Amino acid sequence: MRRARTRRRAAAVAVVALVAAVPLIGGCGIQETDVIEAGGPASFQAFLDRDYHMLLFFRTPDGGVSPVMRATQPSAEFGDHYFDPGAEEQNSADESGLVPTEKVVLALLGGPHEDDRAAGLSTSLPTARPGGALKVDSSPDGRVTARLPLALGDLDSIALRQLTCTIAYSQDAEGQVVVQLTGQDGASRSGTCGLAPGSAENAPAATGTRARTTPSGTTG
Amino acid sequence: MITGPRLGRSRRDKDAQRDGRDEREGRDGRDGRDAPGAVTSGERSRVRAFGLRTRLLLAFLMVAAVSAGTTAALTYREARNAVLQTAQDTAVTSFREHVQQTAFTLPLQNEGLEDVLRDIARRGKPHPWVVFAEYGSIRASSGENPVSTVITPELRRAARAHPYGSFERVVKDGVPYLTIAMPMVFKTSPDSVLPSGLVLYAVMRMTDEQVNVDALLMAARDGALPGLAVALIPGLIAARSVLRPVRELRQAARSMGSGRLDTRIAVRGSDELADLARTFNESTGQLERSVRELRAAEERARRFASDVSHELRTPLAGMLAVTEVLDEDADGLDSDTARAVRLVSAETGKLAVLVEDLMEISRFDARAAELNADEVDVAEAIRKTLHNRHWTDDRVRVDLPDGIRARLDPRRFDVVIANLVGNALRHGGAPVTVGLRTEARSPEPSVLITEVVDSGPGIRPASLPHIFDRFYKADAARTRSAGSGLGLAITLENVKLHGGTIRAGNRPEGGAVFTVEIPLHTEEAGG
Repeated sequence: MRRARTRRRAAAVAVVALVAAVPLIGGCGIQETDVIEAGGPASFQAFLDRDYHMLLFFRTPDGGVSPVMRATQPSAEFGDHYFDPGAEEQNSADESGLVPTEKVVLALLGGPHEDDRAAGLSTSLPTARPGGALKVDSSPDGRVTARLPLALGDLDSIALRQLTCTIAYSQDAEGQVVVQLTGQDGASRSGTCGLAPGSAENAPAATGTRARTTPSGTTG
Repeated sequence: MITGPRLGRSRRDKDAQRDGRDEREGRDGRDGRDAPGAVTSGERSRVRAFGLRTRLLLAFLMVAAVSAGTTAALTYREARNAVLQTAQDTAVTSFREHVQQTAFTLPLQNEGLEDVLRDIARRGKPHPWVVFAEYGSIRASSGENPVSTVITPELRRAARAHPYGSFERVVKDGVPYLTIAMPMVFKTSPDSVLPSGLVLYAVMRMTDEQVNVDALLMAARDGALPGLAVALIPGLIAARSVLRPVRELRQAARSMGSGRLDTRIAVRGSDELADLARTFNESTGQLERSVRELRAAEERARRFASDVSHELRTPLAGMLAVTEVLDEDADGLDSDTARAVRLVSAETGKLAVLVEDLMEISRFDARAAELNADEVDVAEAIRKTLHNRHWTDDRVRVDLPDGIRARLDPRRFDVVIANLVGNALRHGGAPVTVGLRTEARSPEPSVLITEVVDSGPGIRPASLPHIFDRFYKADAARTRSAGSGLGLAITLENVKLHGGTIRAGNRPEGGAVFTVEIPLHTEEAGG
């Protein structure tokens, strides 16, 4: 009886020693880790000047949207601008100091250029038919309404996002505006771009709003 | 008055005799008993392998191993984590700093991208790293392969899904790598940034860190192992401090067992072992006292019996002389008086024999009996005994081969033979045969065997164990007999004095047989 108890106690001691030894043996060397977050993203110098550059959003191979910068004028005009700043500034001031949004949307509908394509960027939008009615209005409460020369019903979510983000960043440097798109077919979509890291949690909410407004848009 | 002490003594002597028989049996079965003895010592040595010393040492080693191991393991883990953390933080911070000083155009141009990446890679801290860029379908790196094989899909997914810098430690082919993913953003306004879709990755080999971590491990091990060796020293000291009193106690107990009752242990300190030693000493003292009292009582009883016998002898001698005279004159008396006189005479004779026997037994008890050994012809000695007792008629047959010589005390051997033959004639039945032979016993000296066989009904089995007891009556109804009741006891003592044994038994065909075995000291005789 006592011997059995002693043996059991010895077994317990052995188990304890083993349990103590396992981390000693197992924890040696450098172990793999999971993915660990380490601070925010890194910002690089893009030399974005909203007076001379417009941001167009194109589709990436992995199904997202990426911004590209495109000069408003050809580089020759760019040089001219340097030589004749007064006239250009006058011109810009007329259109609220920015590149007009209609022009930006037309550039987006024009599709990616050669260097965009070289980087694997493409568009989900159909090529624009020239001469369509394109009108962008910005209301005082921060809403932007865009009337587009194409049918919204045929567009996929990436195409809508391209349009929304392009219009939002054209209207606002931070892209924090609600954009309402109306197509030739009368369909209507609204939402925010939600690409900025600060508004990361807004993105799902924005999609939610868009989803909710979609039925009302189609009926109205 | 005599009855009390006599009974008491006889019982005590019975005990002593039983012990004596045990001794005899022990001597007979010595061959059988040596083997178990060997097993016992073997068990003891096996037990010793897990003895106190081993157990104490193991316990000390265990404690030392657990504490040293835990300390070393915890220290090692903390130090390793610190080393790795420092390296990772430095790498992530410096990678972010370097890429933030870089300019890219959007969309990213493949041309010249590798030069930019190489420039970042050169400035890697704490070690040079390989920088990979992923943008749209563009894959470029500062190394030879545009796509890393080390970066895991999890890291890519995390970098694409959330605009946070992240890192992951990867072990590939036994080499640890630190992989850092840095999604790139650019400013669209002074306080707003936009993900550019460009993700830069840095892959850094952690060879130096591995060397450092290995060095830590070695240090932990080199520290723990000598610690274990050092722990043996207090373990040995503790074992010694426990084992020494235990060993002393064992020696003391052994010396007590061998009869030295005055054995005492030196009491050191005030621990449990000292208490044990003190208790041992007290018990030994009490034991010694009671043994001394017992011995004194026994001594008193023996002396009393001896004194009584002596005191009785003188008046008995006078009485014997008187009864002889009375016996001679009995014929002249009238018949009743003559019968009474003869009875008194006979009883007085018996009393004289009893007193003689008592004195003989007292001498044995006092260990005053001496063996006056002499080399004799055994057959001749037996014949003389029988002749002296007038047992020469056909009641006693002899089977005595000539030429057997042994060292015996002639007087005591005469008593043995006379007692056995007389006993056989009295309680057994004629004819009585006295046999003599020698028998060789290989490890021990050969023995002289004398057998006395009678033709009576034999001894009842219930009486066999007590047949040599003093005043033992085989037949309870026959309280009065010719013998003193001490004959066989005296025979036994005489045989024991010769170093021999005596057995009583029954033959299958009937009749009691008494076998006396006395070792033959022929070598001594020859020398």
